[in-house]
Amino acid sequence: MSRHDIAVTGLGLVTPSGIGVEPNWAAVCDGRPSAAHDPLLKDNPVRISCRVPDFEPAQLLGGRRAHRLDRFTQFALVAAREAITSAGLDIATWDGARVGVVLGCAAGGPGTVEEQHLILTEKGPASVSPLLLPMQLPNMLAGQTAIEFGATGPNLVVATACASGATAIGTASDLLALDRCDIVLAGGSEAMITPLVMAGFAQMGALSRREDDPAAASRPFDADRDGFVAGEGAGVLVLERADDTRARGARARARVAGYGASADAHHITTPHPEGTGVESAIRSALADAGATPGDVGHVNAHGTSTPLNDLTEARVLRRVLAGAPLVTSTKGATGHLLGAAGAVEAVFSVLTVERGLVPPTANLRTLDPHIDIDVATAATPRKIGLALSNSFGFGGQNAVLAIAAA
Amino acid sequence: MFENLKEILVLKLKMPPEHIVPEATKEDIELDSLAAVELSVILGERGITISDDELLEAATVGEMAKLIESRSTNL
Repeated sequence: MSRHDIAVTGLGLVTPSGIGVEPNWAAVCDGRPSAAHDPLLKDNPVRISCRVPDFEPAQLLGGRRAHRLDRFTQFALVAAREAITSAGLDIATWDGARVGVVLGCAAGGPGTVEEQHLILTEKGPASVSPLLLPMQLPNMLAGQTAIEFGATGPNLVVATACASGATAIGTASDLLALDRCDIVLAGGSEAMITPLVMAGFAQMGALSRREDDPAAASRPFDADRDGFVAGEGAGVLVLERADDTRARGARARARVAGYGASADAHHITTPHPEGTGVESAIRSALADAGATPGDVGHVNAHGTSTPLNDLTEARVLRRVLAGAPLVTSTKGATGHLLGAAGAVEAVFSVLTVERGLVPPTANLRTLDPHIDIDVATAATPRKIGLALSNSFGFGGQNAVLAIAAA
Repeated sequence: MFENLKEILVLKLKMPPEHIVPEATKEDIELDSLAAVELSVILGERGITISDDELLEAATVGEMAKLIESRSTNL
C-alpha cells in the first residue's frame, strides 16, 4: 500500500499568531512576530514567550468542559474542531469506528502538575485535585479528542519532543496506508509555558535573552539570533486516503507524499554537527514520495533561532537539496511550539503549496554569513510542487514530511 | 445551604447555573465520581467533613444540600 496518496482535507490552528487558519496565515505571511514579555514569567531569568492571544476556553469549549482540561488539550480540541469542519465532515454522521486520532505532544500538562504540586505542598495530599491525572497525562490529548468527536478508531499520542507534531502526521499516514482507519485527526499540541519548564529551558541556554526587544527575539537564520522563544498552541490536519476523498466529493488541499524519520544517536540536546540523521530523514521522505532532491521547491525549516540548529540545518539543506529551494522558518512569527510545531508547520506547508505563496521568516534582518541557503524574507509567490517540513527534537529525533500539491 | 452548594458547583466546578435546581440528579448536572471528590475537597477546606461516596449517595442536589447542612459545624 502506498503512502503517496494521503490527502489533507482539513486544517485547524491555534497559535500565538492567532486562532484559526486564516488569521494565522495572514499574520505569518505578514512576517508579524508574536513574542512578548510574559507576566507569568516575571520572576524567571527569561521573561519572553509567545502566547495564544485572547484564548477563552470557557467560551470556546463550555465552562465545565474547559475546567477539566489542561491548556494543551483545550488548544487541540479547538484546532481539531476547525479541521473537521473545514474537511466538510460531520461528526453526527461519520463512522467513528473508522476515525483515528494521532496527536503529538512533548510534555502533557505541566501547568496542571505545577499547580497541583503547589497545593500538595501548601495544603496536603487530601487537597490534590482528582482531575490531576486525567488532565496532565499526555495520552489524554487523544482520549479527550475521541470523547469530544466520537472517534473510536486507533487513538494515541506520540512523543518525540519538538518533532512530535510531524511524527504524529507521519504515523497517521502509516495507519491510513495500512487501512487501520479511514480518517485520522493528526497533529500536535503543547502548553509548556510554565515557570518551572521555562526555568529549565533557560538553564539549558536554549532561550533567547533579548529582553530589551522581545518581539525581535525569534529570528531564525539571523546573524544575531541567540536562542528560541517558547510558544504554545495546536495544529490539527484531517488526513484521508485520496481515493476516499474523491469518493465523498471532498477537496484535497495537498498530499502527505512522504515521511522520513531517524535518530541522531548523538547527544541529548545538541544536533549532530554533520546533520547525518537529518540527511537520512530527508532522503527517506523523498524516497517515500518517489521524489528527488531537485524536486523540492520549498522547505519549512525547523529553524528554531538557536545558533546551533539553524547553522547545522542550513548546512544539511545546502548539501542535500541541490535545487536550492526557498527556505523559511515560520517560528520567526509563531515562536517554537515544541510538540505542536511539526503539525503547525505542516499546516503552513499545505497552505504554501495550495496557495503558491512562501511565507517569510519574520525578524530576519541579516542572514548569518555562515548560512548559505535561500531564505524568504518577504511573502514570495511561487508555484511549489513539493515542500519539505522539518522537525527535530531533543534526543536527536528527526521527522521530515514531504508535502505535495494536490 | 442549597444556595451555598449551588455557588460552589457554579463557581468552583464551573457547572451551568440553570441546571442546578433542587430536583436535579447527579446525571442532570454531570456530577461524576471525580467531581464528587472535588466537591468533598472544597467542603473539607470549609470545615465540612463529608466523603465523595456520601455525596454520591444523595439522589438529588437538594438532598445533597441537606446532607451537607447536617454535617456543617456552626462556624
